[in-house]
Amino acid sequence: MMGKNILVIIGMMVFLAACQNRRGGDVQFTFEEADTFPVAEAEKLSAEAIDDIVRNISSPVEIAALLQSMNVPFTIDYLASTGDVDRLSTNFEKALKLGIYGADLGYLNIYERTGNSVEVLQAIKKLADGIRVGQFFDFETIRRLSVSRSNLDSLLFLSVQSYNQIDEHLRDNQRGHLSALMITGVWLEGQYLATQVVQNYPDEILKNRIGEQKIIINDLMMLLAPYCDGNREFRLLCEKMESLRDKYRDIRITYTLGEPETLEVDGRLTVIQNEESNVEMTDEQLHEIIELTKTIRNELIAGR
Amino acid sequence: MKKELLIPLLLLMIPIVMTGQTEADLTSRCVLNAGPNTTYLKDHVIKLPKAVSGREMPVVKENIYLMKGTKYRFTLCNSDDSKGELIVGIYEKDRKIISSYDEKGGKTYGSIDFICNKTGMYTLWYSFREGEQGMGIGVVSLLR
Repeated sequence: MMGKNILVIIGMMVFLAACQNRRGGDVQFTFEEADTFPVAEAEKLSAEAIDDIVRNISSPVEIAALLQSMNVPFTIDYLASTGDVDRLSTNFEKALKLGIYGADLGYLNIYERTGNSVEVLQAIKKLADGIRVGQFFDFETIRRLSVSRSNLDSLLFLSVQSYNQIDEHLRDNQRGHLSALMITGVWLEGQYLATQVVQNYPDEILKNRIGEQKIIINDLMMLLAPYCDGNREFRLLCEKMESLRDKYRDIRITYTLGEPETLEVDGRLTVIQNEESNVEMTDEQLHEIIELTKTIRNELIAGR
Repeated sequence: MKKELLIPLLLLMIPIVMTGQTEADLTSRCVLNAGPNTTYLKDHVIKLPKAVSGREMPVVKENIYLMKGTKYRFTLCNSDDSKGELIVGIYEKDRKIISSYDEKGGKTYGSIDFICNKTGMYTLWYSFREGEQGMGIGVVSLLR
């Protein structure tokens, strides 16, 4: 009897230890063969390199916060329509749209437009369920925080965590192509938002932020590259993104040297960086980027 | 017999449940510690063993893009049972820009405000002061 109890305890320990693992705390699913994506061994980026790229694609929250700091009013017309979510049939479309709505959610959250965010949240939940990662999206809590406007940081924290967990799960389960699509969607929608706003608010900081995306789009292309020859949808996406990267080719980013200044303000350490990056971009180059971003984003939203 | 089984099970569960709570609670607390006029961007959970003499100091390196014209706040929090005090260094490539630990003065700061003027990839080097074992959270926020 005692031996049986020990076995039960050991069994429970193994079970609980498995539940304790932060990543592993998510239930592990096995996906059908068709859901994975063949990637040639030579084309694989190291997990560490992918991790760096994915974690560092410029946050849509930063773009939205920048617009808010410029006193740019909220414009609902910038958001992608959620009307056709049920129409989406392929995982490609679902993952890409999941990213696009993620960026829209960041924009809504920063502007505390909670009335509009419920629709976007519902679309996100459907898409996440559609690619079987809905278990990582804490829909109810996010919806509650959003509607109650109780705590913006908690809302952002949970939204970001949900997306991070979805991304980790996809990559851990040989579905990195869907993670790459999601990240592309997030970036593209943030870029669309910035390029739409800059037409009416030609602020230098915003222009520079768009120019600086030269650095990010190069990383994004590295993330997509292993999948570009996988199927027609990916081939078309890569061609579109490559054409956008081409528009950045002649934009120059230069640097001015300088030593950082350090001071203590109210017991807090503050550093002012005096080394500067400078974007050299003509109005024509900016215009071309604005137009192409709009075309690509709208084509992808329409499933073309 | 049931009681005999239940007690060790509960005892086994305590540290497991505690660890789960501590990490989430600590992150929430740290997000709040960032103060008013901040917007949460991301967090890093740091768990490191004690340094072994003669070997390199344990460190976690996290890459992050920082954008020109943006003010960032890096807030550090330690778990209650952490032996070490979490410190962070902001590096650009391998060049240190600043550390939350002032080695000369022996002072540790709970946060760094960084006024970024150069867009690019930076690396946050997280470690525990004196190479102690520890657990803590680093929160990156926008400063409005």
